[in-house]
Amino acid sequence: MSAQVTLAIRYLKGRRLRTALTTLAIVFGVMLLFGLNGIIPAMVQSLQSSMIAASGQTDLVVTSASTGLFDAAVADRVGTVEGVEAATPVLRVPVALAPGRYPVGMLSIIGVDPATAGRVRPYPVAEGRFLSEEDAKQDLEGGEATKRPAVVLPASTASALGLEVGDTLEVPSARGVARLTVAGVLKMPTAPGNEEAYMALPVAQALLGSGDRVSEVDATVKAGVDRAEVTRAVQRALGSAYRIGGVEPDSSLFASIKLGGFIINMFGVFAIVMAGFIILNTFRTVVAERRHDIGMLRAIGASRHTIFGMFLTESLVQGVLGTALGIIAGWWVAKLAMAGVGVISSDLLHLSIGRPVFTPGTWVLAIGMGVGVTVLAALVPARAAASITPLEAMRPQAGDRYEKAATHRAWWGVAVIVLAVAGLLSRDTTLVGASSVVFLVGLALVTPALVRPVTDAFGRAIEAVFRREGGLAKANLTRNAGRAAVTASAMMVSVAVIIALLGTFTSVFDGFIGYIDKSMGADFLAVPSNLLLSTGTVGADAALVTAVKSTEGVGDVATLRVGRAAMGGTGLQVIGIDPVAYSKVASFEYSEGSSEAALARLGTDGAIMVNGIFAAQQGLRPGDTLRLETPAGPRNYTVVAVATDYLNAKLATAYVSQAELEREFGVTTDVAIMADARPGADRQAVRAALARTVRDYPQFALYDTREWRDLQVATFRQVYGAMYVMLFVLAVPSLLALLNTLAIGVLARTREIGMLRAIGSTRVQVRRMVIAESLLLASLGTALGMLSGVWLGYSMVDAMNAVGFKMPYYFPYDGLAIALVIGVVFGVLAALVPARQATKLDVVAALRYE
Amino acid sequence: MPIVETKGLTRVYGEGSNAVTALDAVDLAVEPGEFVAVMGPSGCGKSTLLNLIGGLDAPTSGSVVIDGRDIAHMSEAEVTALRRRRIGFVFQFFNLIPVLDAAENVALPLVLDGVKAAEAKATAIEWLARVGLQDLAGRKPDELSGGQQQRVAIARALVTDPALILADEPTGNLDSRSSDDIARLLKEVSVTWGRAILMVTHDPRIAAHADRIVFMRDGRVVDDTRIAGAQEARDAMEKVGLL
Ligand SMILES: Nc1ncnc2c1ncn2[C@@H]1O[C@H](COP(=O)(O)OP(=O)(O)O)[C@@H](O)[C@H]1O
Ligand SMILES: [Mg+2]
Repeated sequence: MSAQVTLAIRYLKGRRLRTALTTLAIVFGVMLLFGLNGIIPAMVQSLQSSMIAASGQTDLVVTSASTGLFDAAVADRVGTVEGVEAATPVLRVPVALAPGRYPVGMLSIIGVDPATAGRVRPYPVAEGRFLSEEDAKQDLEGGEATKRPAVVLPASTASALGLEVGDTLEVPSARGVARLTVAGVLKMPTAPGNEEAYMALPVAQALLGSGDRVSEVDATVKAGVDRAEVTRAVQRALGSAYRIGGVEPDSSLFASIKLGGFIINMFGVFAIVMAGFIILNTFRTVVAERRHDIGMLRAIGASRHTIFGMFLTESLVQGVLGTALGIIAGWWVAKLAMAGVGVISSDLLHLSIGRPVFTPGTWVLAIGMGVGVTVLAALVPARAAASITPLEAMRPQAGDRYEKAATHRAWWGVAVIVLAVAGLLSRDTTLVGASSVVFLVGLALVTPALVRPVTDAFGRAIEAVFRREGGLAKANLTRNAGRAAVTASAMMVSVAVIIALLGTFTSVFDGFIGYIDKSMGADFLAVPSNLLLSTGTVGADAALVTAVKSTEGVGDVATLRVGRAAMGGTGLQVIGIDPVAYSKVASFEYSEGSSEAALARLGTDGAIMVNGIFAAQQGLRPGDTLRLETPAGPRNYTVVAVATDYLNAKLATAYVSQAELEREFGVTTDVAIMADARPGADRQAVRAALARTVRDYPQFALYDTREWRDLQVATFRQVYGAMYVMLFVLAVPSLLALLNTLAIGVLARTREIGMLRAIGSTRVQVRRMVIAESLLLASLGTALGMLSGVWLGYSMVDAMNAVGFKMPYYFPYDGLAIALVIGVVFGVLAALVPARQATKLDVVAALRYE
Repeated sequence: MPIVETKGLTRVYGEGSNAVTALDAVDLAVEPGEFVAVMGPSGCGKSTLLNLIGGLDAPTSGSVVIDGRDIAHMSEAEVTALRRRRIGFVFQFFNLIPVLDAAENVALPLVLDGVKAAEAKATAIEWLARVGLQDLAGRKPDELSGGQQQRVAIARALVTDPALILADEPTGNLDSRSSDDIARLLKEVSVTWGRAILMVTHDPRIAAHADRIVFMRDGRVVDDTRIAGAQEARDAMEKVGLL
């Protein structure tokens, strides 16, 4: 082993407590980054496999550019293209099964044409039979078992559902629960968690209420013909309204998950950067403590390079160790979280999520950040160490050089803060957002110069409590202003982020409650149990609405319908409403420049409303025109309003009239029904009557809106709870930073503390001195954090509004209160271990300490 | 040829009215195997002289020639290598790395020079035996007495077979018994192993072991006398008014 490695390892072992503390900080950051990143890809993967069916076995897959359903006759056009061997229409829609009916939550309904399906893809039968052309003639209503339409299941699906040939499969359909007889079991592979049910195309179309439309056309290419050539020929034949290639997943849902992933990543990066602060502090101290050793090493012939290498090796060992432990811990966090997330997602999204997935990117990110930040944080102190000349090292350290640098830097900080204020005053969302971060940087620069005045101010309060020890504590803190400043900055960032996030949560919460109160005004709701209108929900045909309308005691009724379209390559959902009926039972949350009057205009030709997210994504304003890819081809619309309803607040959404949705999208089924009770009707009785009406449609859950609102609020509160845990997680690194700095301080003053004890200080007084110092440091960090937290919070809410989530801003009184509590509690908590060390000190040994 | 020779060696600290001439045109030559003691009142420039010779500091004017080469013309890396191979240092304090044991401390210059760890350790233990510490090779510095620590430091200064040992008050921190031991050890270093030694000391009893005493005052060499035995040393000191 080379000299620097041996020395590095020995020195690390020589300061176990600090090595442990700083390594812990890295472990913590890497754990978050690695663990949380293991969950997101797992969710995306299972989502993908549940949405993209195993269509790899066919040469060509044709879908609509709108990502919606299209005319089945397209299959014939594909079949006639030169070089195409065979083409067959397929309707593939994931459907949420009635909750609790089967052990499986989600099932892909796949309608195929029995006459042509076999020519495009093999369907090897394991038991029973495959579909025949006879099956295409079966009526969905067939009451007796012998006349029921046939369904054929892959073996894995059959066993997952617990069905055998001859059994009955119950599926929610547009006309109530449909019953199909299992006619055969197929020997074919399915992706895990991706269950499929094959039936004749007309049966699937009737079941889903999708008319004569399909979701894709599968085709094979003649042997010996160039596939790319045929692909181009098909594209030419069909035009730009169709895409050839794989099935596109629901991009807006992916975007939401990716955003969640990004936010989670920020938590991890944040924790690691905090770890960087802690490491920087430790190494600065270590370099100062080891001046004499460095000087001696240089005198006996160690080069600058060797000294630099020694410190870098120390950080590298710590970085690698911390990262390795962090990855192990992260793996467990992911595993445990998956168990928790699994419950929620199978409830809410009908997705079963398997094991955590760690992509190569996650490994690179975790290792790169863990090791990289550690080494980077040690770089500056290591360079400082290498530049110490042997002579300098032999002399006592000059103190006031730092103060001069601090004042110099503080002026830069002031300049940066002025810049930030200018950004805030500009009222431009991007600038306001950037300014909050710039402000943090500015404060961090100013902090070293603030240590003395601010500790003077707080010192007075501290001295009131710790009459004798307060003065000493204050002096100790200002003695190493640089170290105190880095610690206070770390604490500041934590506190700022906590205050900002708390404030933002409150605003988000209130924003969504606002959406609910505006758009969920009806007395009763029948909504899909999974709350996502465009995924997994089988709409109901007119029969259900008619039944609801004629239910005893029901007054006005409005429905939502859903189709899919694309704009500039990204998918969106298009909600169909009846403007007249809708305005009677509910409203929208209107964004700037839009009002109730716009709703009436939705009935006019070419009118469209867009929700906040979609408007922000595409930069749309009332009066703008936009071009959507609809299943019937591209169409131009004029934006009459920017408005959002609760059910669709989270995804890019446009609203058109139901007449338009039928004309351009061919959608006639309802995915949500809102109903008012007639004035004076007995609400309980109406509810009971409605429950009987929707009983046959297990895809819908019926709620009294008040009860449903309570349920939503309760769910929010649960999410809130999880967020509080996250906030605590964010606070941990700052606690470690405090603890580390105090431990360093006590160690550096071992001799002094020994002297204090020798001249008659009691153990209690020494402990109180350390606690007073800790409280001073914590109050400095907390005060700065409170200041910047308010700013950061404001800019976050501003940004949320800018991306289309309309929400109010509140001054974060509760966040400030929590920050104060954190400041005091952490101040005392962080002092406990070092204070114990200080009081346990053997006086004689301490006086000998070099 | 002398192992080290200084010509007009001058070092001025600070500038203008604050300028302090710590060393003023010092000419000094040390022959191989010679044991030279440097004496003089506190602040007369003894440490400055040693630091300049060891290449730890750069002169304001004048030159330091070691092995016939002027170190002013060497790069920093060359000076560092020179210190590693040709010069051994012993200081008053902070001689040892606290986290390494005695043998490892002694082996350090070799390891820094790229010698394999096992080989370096074997050589280190040989030298520890020569300074009489073979049984304490595995002890950390804080488990050794002050005299033992200085012995370890001397072993370390010798381990690379340097031509010159620079010792700045090596006994300044020791009781008189340990001081005598260290002085005898240094004498042995020059006689038995033929190393030149330049040693700063305040202690006449220690200086008496040297072959030659250089007296300094206000940055200048005021007397340079060969001695043999304690009596001649005492005479020389009396002459410059040190006793
Ligand atoms: N880095 C320095 N800066 C300014 N003056 C110095 C420095 N080092 C030494 N001196 C001054 O140079 C003179 C000689 O110092 P030194 O060589 O250490 O004396 P000593 O003979 O006691 O070892 C003293 O007056 C001292 O104050
Ligand atoms: Mg001196």
